[in-house]
Amino acid sequence: MNIKVLVANRGEIACRILRACKEAGHPTVAICAPNDAGSLFTEMADHVVMLKGESIAETYLDQQQIVAAALNTGATAVHPGFGFLSERAEFANAVQTAGLTWIGPSASAIEKMGDKMTARQTMRAAGVPVIPGEEVEEDDEAMALTALREASERVGYPLLLKASSGGGGKGMRAVHAAVDFDQAAAGARREAVAAFGDGRIYIERLLSGSKHVEIQILADQHGRTIHLGERECSVQRRHQKVFEEAPGPTMTGDLREAMGQAAVAAAEAVDYVGAGTVEFLLAPSGEFFFLEMNTRIQVEHPVTELVTGVDIVREQLRIAAGEPMSCGPLMMRGHAIEVRLYAEDAANGFLPSIGPLAVFQPPEGPGVRLDTGVREGDEVTPNYDPMLAKLIVWAPSRTEALQKMRRSLDEFVVLGTTTNIEFLRDLCDAPPVVDGSTTTTTIEDVWPDGWNPPSSPALEEAALLAAASAETLGLHRTQARGPPSSSNGPVSPFSTLTRRYP
Amino acid sequence: MMQHTFASSDGPVEVTLSKQGDSFFLQGHELVKDARGRLRITLQSGHVHVAHVAKVGDTWWVHINGRTFKWERIEPGSSNAHDEGGLVAPMPGKVLEVLVSEGDKVAAGAPLMVLEAMKMEHRIVASADGTVIRVHYRAGDQVDQGASLLEVE
Repeated sequence: MNIKVLVANRGEIACRILRACKEAGHPTVAICAPNDAGSLFTEMADHVVMLKGESIAETYLDQQQIVAAALNTGATAVHPGFGFLSERAEFANAVQTAGLTWIGPSASAIEKMGDKMTARQTMRAAGVPVIPGEEVEEDDEAMALTALREASERVGYPLLLKASSGGGGKGMRAVHAAVDFDQAAAGARREAVAAFGDGRIYIERLLSGSKHVEIQILADQHGRTIHLGERECSVQRRHQKVFEEAPGPTMTGDLREAMGQAAVAAAEAVDYVGAGTVEFLLAPSGEFFFLEMNTRIQVEHPVTELVTGVDIVREQLRIAAGEPMSCGPLMMRGHAIEVRLYAEDAANGFLPSIGPLAVFQPPEGPGVRLDTGVREGDEVTPNYDPMLAKLIVWAPSRTEALQKMRRSLDEFVVLGTTTNIEFLRDLCDAPPVVDGSTTTTTIEDVWPDGWNPPSSPALEEAALLAAASAETLGLHRTQARGPPSSSNGPVSPFSTLTRRYP
Repeated sequence: MMQHTFASSDGPVEVTLSKQGDSFFLQGHELVKDARGRLRITLQSGHVHVAHVAKVGDTWWVHINGRTFKWERIEPGSSNAHDEGGLVAPMPGKVLEVLVSEGDKVAAGAPLMVLEAMKMEHRIVASADGTVIRVHYRAGDQVDQGASLLEVE
């Protein structure tokens, strides 16, 4: 069945989806906020609708405007990507009410999983183990804080505060002692209200030394639900993942089967359709606990694609069109690693940075994949998430994949905006990463006083030599990166021909 | 011109290049610009790397062998002194909370203000012990990148 797909997203994931649609022969529509005009993703769609408004709420979160854009352009389906409206049940409803196909699970599945407190209750009922903790259903600020404080004493320290509508580390706080609780709870509530319009918070026991392991699942409309194995995404800073891999370095066949079955049970408990991810914490004891289910495509989906050979976005399109998924039995081959390139200052608390991408030269070579929404000459602004790109490598073994990642990061040149490339490169040498014993606290464990770039006086002097020479040579005035002038190259026989238009 | 001054965290660095033929030299490292405009550097150790450079504002960004360095050039004669202990907004954003008042004594590392930018909260902390002598913004105010937020003496 042919569908015309409106991509209700921007940046890197919009590019990923638009490319998959093009490959599948589906016409596409992009939407674009005025401050995104000229962004890479807008060049990949057959049609671009410029949204009215300035803030994210007035543009990428404006459901009415987006549904109208779909109807006006003759789109028949909406792909929400991740973030933005991807996990808003009322948007899934609005899309379907307008007679459009929603590329994702039902509104009721999104609702049951999207509200993390409801999800925990649903999973308990389905027999999937959840992290010990307590949910607090209380809207009033003062009463909620009191109830949370009481619950914190029953759950015990250290603990984690999480927003029921949360995601992406927003509205989340780790609390290690009772004295810090009130300030942390107030901060988590405030961030949750600002980000999601819902300040409800729940408490989970902080299981230190655990791994973050998640299972990719796919379910079609013909009653088939499968899992595509695991990804390990333990390495996080500010509760956001930066380094993801598949398969998990400590995974066994039995554990994969048990976690895969639990993930399929979780999906079936909410009659899930489409691609989704069930996240678990894997404790040192080997026990695993349900964390949450992401009812959408995930940032780190490429590592699963590289080891299973499944194009997850193409499967999403197939499933939404009512076709059976095309995957056979699960086969995992080799090892894939993804790192997230952020415009941020890793040496300064991972503070986001802005600036021009004066040079943006990604690595190449066999087994190297880049998913990005930017190119050289773009400007990194504070308007959106500072993720610039995902660099993904595949190799026959984990050791070789790490070697390939080191080489690729060394090749990656980004000038004009501070990035975390050197941090990621250093991370590839961190002992827990090398031996696969990463946990959710690896970054704090390896760099308790914060990360700083390794010292290398010779390279620093060489860089000073380069800067001083470039200034002397006036390279900034002569566009040093332009192509060599034709006088240096061989003479083209075609340059003597004259062509006239029209 | 073969003499340049760059800013660094340890104060200004003066660089005097020497030139022989098409090569520039510094501390035993040699740089040659080839016909395609690429900067080829032979380190004193004998290793050869191609450096990528770009100038943004007054700052030269240099990538060499997986490392990226920034050198801000100081124009001869200009006073490019950076505010010591200046508490400036690291990026454009909104002030969520002001945690101190003018006259408060603060210790190094104490949180002074909470900013929201890029959908995350960021703390502005005191870089040294001192007294808050001025608070320039209130909760809810928008701030531009580089705006002076507070002054601590």
